[in-house]
Amino acid sequence: MRGVAVTIAAIALALVPAIGAAQEAPASTAACTAMDKTLPPELAAWTAQTPLAAAASAAGLRKASLTLGKAVTADLPQTPQVHFVTQPEKPGGTVSHGGMFELNIDKAGTYVVALGSGAWIDVLKDGKPLMSTAHARGPACLTLRKMVDFSLQPGRYVLQVSANAEARLPILLARRP
Amino acid sequence: MKARALAGWGALLGAAAVGLAALAAPAAYRWDLPKGIAPPPVPADNPMTAAKVELGHRLFYDADLSIDGTLACAGCHGQHRAFSESNATHPGVRGAAGRRNVMTLSNVGYYGVLTWGDPGLKTLEAQVLVPTTGEHPIEMGMKGQEAELARRLGADACYRKMFAAAFPGRKGAIGMDTVALALAAFERTLVSFRSDYDRQALSEPARRGEHLFFGPRFACASCHTAPLFTDAGAADPLVAFHRIEPANGSDRGLAEITRKPEDAGRFRTPSLRNVALSPPYLHDGSAKTLPDAIRRHEQAGAMTEAEMDDLVAFLGGLTDRAFVTDPRFALPRTRCGKRL
Repeated sequence: MRGVAVTIAAIALALVPAIGAAQEAPASTAACTAMDKTLPPELAAWTAQTPLAAAASAAGLRKASLTLGKAVTADLPQTPQVHFVTQPEKPGGTVSHGGMFELNIDKAGTYVVALGSGAWIDVLKDGKPLMSTAHARGPACLTLRKMVDFSLQPGRYVLQVSANAEARLPILLARRP
Repeated sequence: MKARALAGWGALLGAAAVGLAALAAPAAYRWDLPKGIAPPPVPADNPMTAAKVELGHRLFYDADLSIDGTLACAGCHGQHRAFSESNATHPGVRGAAGRRNVMTLSNVGYYGVLTWGDPGLKTLEAQVLVPTTGEHPIEMGMKGQEAELARRLGADACYRKMFAAAFPGRKGAIGMDTVALALAAFERTLVSFRSDYDRQALSEPARRGEHLFFGPRFACASCHTAPLFTDAGAADPLVAFHRIEPANGSDRGLAEITRKPEDAGRFRTPSLRNVALSPPYLHDGSAKTLPDAIRRHEQAGAMTEAEMDDLVAFLGGLTDRAFVTDPRFALPRTRCGKRL
């Protein structure tokens, strides 16, 4: 329990108000005896990842829907195969990977997109990127490397992931308490 | 005050004389500068052309310049932060630890010395190799990957056209050398002289701060010399390296290059152009705010809170909003006429 509290405090300290679409670069991996032992409650599902193929175009979004509170290991196509809804601010090179997901929000609130890498993300509403409200590195000893918060109203959104080095990427969408 | 500023502009005009010959080349880049501002010096072997600048602009935003395709120049040098970023240091590819804070690129073409610690690195063309192929620290991780870079860029028909237009004398050769020439040409266009200070439109607190800045009591301008607000434009590159605090063991600054103990802790003066947009500050990004950074200077010890507020207001008056929103410098939205 104390470990959880310490982690929450560490995350709170790490959170920084966002200016524009700024996103924190991931922290370097610290030497840890075990990983993912101290996740905050809203991110507890991080370790229970199931596979999900990212959409490579807007037509594939319905089959690539992220469920709130359920972590996925996303399969990302190579960047040249992805037709983003909107050009990402950091598009990634031809040897990188990217993809898109549908988000359906029922309740207004602050939501966090947690990632297992330092990939760039955009959350789009009606094709336009939203400003993030906070961004943070993943705390030490978590495989979670980056968190970006958004204030969302009920509705449908598109999550774009770009400039990821690997073809697989753990992602979790969660509501902040 | 005005005399001091004019002397500064005179130095820039003198430097521009070097560039005038280059501007005579065919299809030269057309500068769009505020009245009275001369373009930065241009090396004779890398004349400015519109095609080369356009190519450099695209390359600046292309993460294929990094080994895993995740990091472009713009990944650290974001336009909305005057081509810097918000992390104290930025990790390189594959989690390589960053080492020093990302400097802004405002007016970088006017500088005679370019990095925090190396007085020998004097041209933008040479500097390109630091992030792309450097190993201390690893940033983009392309050392030994020149053939791979050429393969990636050469696979793109639009790039082949752009290199051909930019380097007709080299038959459109695609390689690290032409990449560096194009990036340097683009970086020379990053000119920022449209702030409230330049337009003589400072607020009253900022005007008070201006007097403090240029006055003898704090002598900020002795290193942050107008109009560049750094002495990195001086003819002698060593002039631009100063120590504001005792050296620490992890980063010895200039001494890492000169091997002289007395140079430990000396770092190049960063420009204060657009400084309000580029926290955190100092070579290691350890000062989170402008007051934090100012208080780290010995001469700021006697500064009152009111004086600090005025000085910070003046530094805010060096922000050039047109520069950080100028579409000529932004992420390209088209490629060879095709919308992205």
